[in-house]
Amino acid sequence: MRRVLRVFGVSAVAMSLALSACGNSPGKATSTSTSTGSGTSDGSQVAVDAPGVTATEIRVGGAASTTNPLGGLEGDSFNGVQAYFNTINDAGGIYGRKLVLAAQRDDKLANNKAEVQGLLTQDNVFAVLPIATLLFTGADLLVQEQVPTFGWNINAEWSGTPADPRANLFGQAGSYLCFTCASPVVPWMLGQAGKHKVGLLAYSAPQSADCADGTIASFDKYGKMTDSSVAFVDKSLAYGTADLSVQVSKMKDAGVDFVATCMDTNGVVTLAKEMKKQGLDAPQSLPNGYDHQFVSEFGDLFEGSFVRTDFAQFELEDQPQGLQDYLAAMKKLGKATSENSVVGWLNANLFVEGLKAAGPNFSRPSLIAAINKMTDYNADGLLNGVDWTTAHTQDPSDTRFCQFISQIKNSEFTTPFSQPGKPFVCVVVNGDSLDTENS
Amino acid sequence: MNNLSSFAQYAVQGIPLGCVFALLAVGLTLNYKTSGVFNLAFAAQAFASAAVFYVLRKEHRWNLLLAAFVAVVVFGVAMAWILDTLIYRHQRTASPLAKLVTSLGLLVALPQIVLLVISTKSKLNPPPLWPVKRADDFLWPSSGKYVLDASQIATLVATALVVIGLIVLFRRGSLGLQMRAVVESPRLLQLQGVDADRVSRWAWILSSVLASLAGVLIAPLFAQLNSLDFFTLLVAAIAACVIGNLTSIPLAFLGGLGLGILQAELAGFLPTNSVLSTGLRPSLPFVVLFMVLFMRRSLRTRTAPADPMGGVDPPPPAPAADTRPQWMAHGTHVFGGVVIAVGLGLCMWVLDDYWVGLVTAGVCLAIVLLSITLTTGVGGTISLCQASFAAVGAFATAKFASGGMSVIVAIVLAALVAALVGLLLGAAILHLPGIYAALATLAFALMFQAVLVPLDWVSGGSVPITVPRPLIGGIDFASDRSFLLLACACLAVMGLAVIAIRDGTTGRFLDAVRGSSTAARSIGINPDRQRLVVFVAGAAVAGFGGGLVASYAEAANYDQSFTFFFSLVWVVLVITAGARLVQAAIISGVTFFVFPALLDKLFSWPGNYLASNPSTTGALNSFLSFFNPTWAQGVAFILFGFGALTYAKHPEGIIEAQGAVVSARIARRFGGRRSPTAAPGEPPPDTRPPDVAASIDVVA
Repeated sequence: MRRVLRVFGVSAVAMSLALSACGNSPGKATSTSTSTGSGTSDGSQVAVDAPGVTATEIRVGGAASTTNPLGGLEGDSFNGVQAYFNTINDAGGIYGRKLVLAAQRDDKLANNKAEVQGLLTQDNVFAVLPIATLLFTGADLLVQEQVPTFGWNINAEWSGTPADPRANLFGQAGSYLCFTCASPVVPWMLGQAGKHKVGLLAYSAPQSADCADGTIASFDKYGKMTDSSVAFVDKSLAYGTADLSVQVSKMKDAGVDFVATCMDTNGVVTLAKEMKKQGLDAPQSLPNGYDHQFVSEFGDLFEGSFVRTDFAQFELEDQPQGLQDYLAAMKKLGKATSENSVVGWLNANLFVEGLKAAGPNFSRPSLIAAINKMTDYNADGLLNGVDWTTAHTQDPSDTRFCQFISQIKNSEFTTPFSQPGKPFVCVVVNGDSLDTENS
Repeated sequence: MNNLSSFAQYAVQGIPLGCVFALLAVGLTLNYKTSGVFNLAFAAQAFASAAVFYVLRKEHRWNLLLAAFVAVVVFGVAMAWILDTLIYRHQRTASPLAKLVTSLGLLVALPQIVLLVISTKSKLNPPPLWPVKRADDFLWPSSGKYVLDASQIATLVATALVVIGLIVLFRRGSLGLQMRAVVESPRLLQLQGVDADRVSRWAWILSSVLASLAGVLIAPLFAQLNSLDFFTLLVAAIAACVIGNLTSIPLAFLGGLGLGILQAELAGFLPTNSVLSTGLRPSLPFVVLFMVLFMRRSLRTRTAPADPMGGVDPPPPAPAADTRPQWMAHGTHVFGGVVIAVGLGLCMWVLDDYWVGLVTAGVCLAIVLLSITLTTGVGGTISLCQASFAAVGAFATAKFASGGMSVIVAIVLAALVAALVGLLLGAAILHLPGIYAALATLAFALMFQAVLVPLDWVSGGSVPITVPRPLIGGIDFASDRSFLLLACACLAVMGLAVIAIRDGTTGRFLDAVRGSSTAARSIGINPDRQRLVVFVAGAAVAGFGGGLVASYAEAANYDQSFTFFFSLVWVVLVITAGARLVQAAIISGVTFFVFPALLDKLFSWPGNYLASNPSTTGALNSFLSFFNPTWAQGVAFILFGFGALTYAKHPEGIIEAQGAVVSARIARRFGGRRSPTAAPGEPPPDTRPPDVAASIDVVA
């Protein structure tokens, strides 16, 4: 025992000698451009001095959780990027250069920072896209290096603050993500469905519990406007729970007629099966439900449930040009359509629109600046319209919340809230009421 | 509704899940009772058979009975043959903890093999063991408060039949008695004219078929097939096993059932938003497991059954380090030094930031793994919560540093916090015999994950707390290269500290305890106290390493670095390489990050070649197109699992085993300085004192 203490004592003394002069690093210095590929002028082409850009190509690379324990389709985002690049390249490329998706890294859930480092040091890319990962631990590195980055905004690391806007990170439809913030969309759904009492279930894991807090805040703030309220909450569920019988009984007792969840596919299916068994007929709000395989397997359990996305869904009859282009390009590529591949498509589209706006003498800073000047970016109608001058941070004065909202009917997605040429539903806070507009 | 009727309602509603726990607990108990293996790979076996059933029934649309027969019986028997003949038959008289290590290797490797075969794409809606498409297509009764679906009915019936059948087998039949006997002494059984191999084979067939049945029954509980879900249920069922003392099937059944009912009662009666509810409900099985282990006094005096014929075994071979001539030992040290110097040189001047980052992460992890060298290699305790101690270190570092403290000071203080947690935990559990102490550490890790990690003030919640890089004496460690040097310095200090403990008084006391606990006590050595000392020291080292990991990652990110599953992988990695060796921890740490990246490059190369040589056609094109980059992770885990299997043959670790081979070759080459190491195939002479010889088996 004494020897152990002595060993650690000696170590501690040795360290304490160093500690007297200890502090914390102010952080990494932003590196200067590591490798440059400069293009040569040939008629329409202007020489560009930027990493990953040569006379013939612009290289980008991305990272996705292609192999992950949850069986997600994050790897599909590469297909979306490739499909869009094929479209551009078939039309001659941009500024005389082909767009090349040079690296498709699999971060395997826990290796995001290392793979981002690999993109920057090994793959010689001009921009990083797509990022479609369950953890985004490489975000700080990308911010420090000011690399234009495009991806799937599901991690808090995408969001900026007024002091640190993270202006080089671009999500598919804005970069701000607030799990705990109030939104009128779910209360609006209850109004549309003629329901009044919501049951709320979430895991005890931080993101899930925060999401539940956000839903509670939404009903505290906007519930009165649709005569709806939270009648039952349970956010103490263990991840991977296989039995929700007691919760459903209690929801029935509480008169719940609508269900909101902050759970994964397993959770919502377990809940829906139990609701069917106990005869609780209540639609759900499914924030992650736009998955055609999921609906073909379980659609009958979710009759009347609401599914939200940032983009115009494939079932829309009067399809905007952006959606038509996406569907055609995916068909040509021979890959399946999915939410993740749309995200990849949108990332690639914003990247190219940014290059166009930056001009032929583009650079990383000019690309970032050009995108951040866009006030109504809508990917040819695939999105509702993103104001990139404000989309990195929260705007507390927001009173207009727009999304694409579909409903599951007969195991298919339907679009009852869309109008010709105006597919998106905007819930507008108007004094003490919620108005609905289409855009 | 009054409280009594609510109580009854929740109790009934808890029975189906209780039956799932019971089925798994009975399977684990059967496995332990008939093979001496606490088989955590039971979950992996169940997942594998569920995957077979999914492919046959859903993708190939086989008839229900035929698909079930193949998935449960044929696959179960095949799995039993593999486990018995190729793996556990060679470990029959090994300690339960040695077998636990092997099962951990299988737990990791088996699902990866399955995923490589059936693809990693999501497998939605696993079919039930019932002639319907989905479990809820058949409900009985069709309405009311207590409705069962097809899957629940099948599970209830199967569990009841299995329990009754096993009770009859062990109470009435001679095979049951023989199965238990073969665990304790196969040679004694053979002296009675019983074929121990045949009995062992039947034991494995029984437990493997039960695992397969459990997998097929449980899969429809979930929306998609995922091995993690099976493991989550299994670890919950461990509490029921412990209630049954790992040997009583009726008690394990009742424990599982009780656990399901208790879970339903808590969900019904605890206010859903109370702190108690948030903390207790997600962690209930682990709290029960911990409490049972902590409070059951009879466990403290329980010892593993010893083979009365064990004395006929030849002594274990001497470790290469003990038999190596001094000149060769010095040569090894010089060679090691050169390798480290060359490696550092490459990192400083040749390798790019990607590889430097991986090596740096590996060096930081090596410090955490040194804690396993202490706890397991020196102390003889299998700890399955070292990642939790590292997380304590990371979170404490983040808290101290966010208050403005120097991050290096914060890491040292965080190590002390981890040591304090280790002291409290060790004092509570180290009096337990080996396997129970290991399970208690697993329970702690799971409670830590379920209760403490979700708290904002502990982990930062959704956004991990940032941790700065250090600045020491004007030297800024912001760059990865400079941080690597700092990490190497810390690793050297910690490595020397571990060697000092291992070779010092405490280490020798523990060697003596392993040689003969009774003799050690007679000369005044307190085994529990010595084990506690190294356990606390191990927690401190893990906490220090965790702080350094957080500083390198610039955030205390639990999901990325410290989930409980890492503990399982790390402990197998270090024990496989060599539990008592500092160099094993170092090699394991660096390999953990670098090897998968190398595999990634290997499997990506064919695709990259084809992309840059689009004119490639014919057989070469077909051959190169066959390789899939996403195989890298699966292959890494499979190789890791197979590495763990070598533990059965080389309990001293791969490094020592290879060291012995190399030593023998060198000694033969330079004949005049022959080492006492024997030629391959011959038992080497044992030149060690008995206590050192015994210490090779870290879990004796």
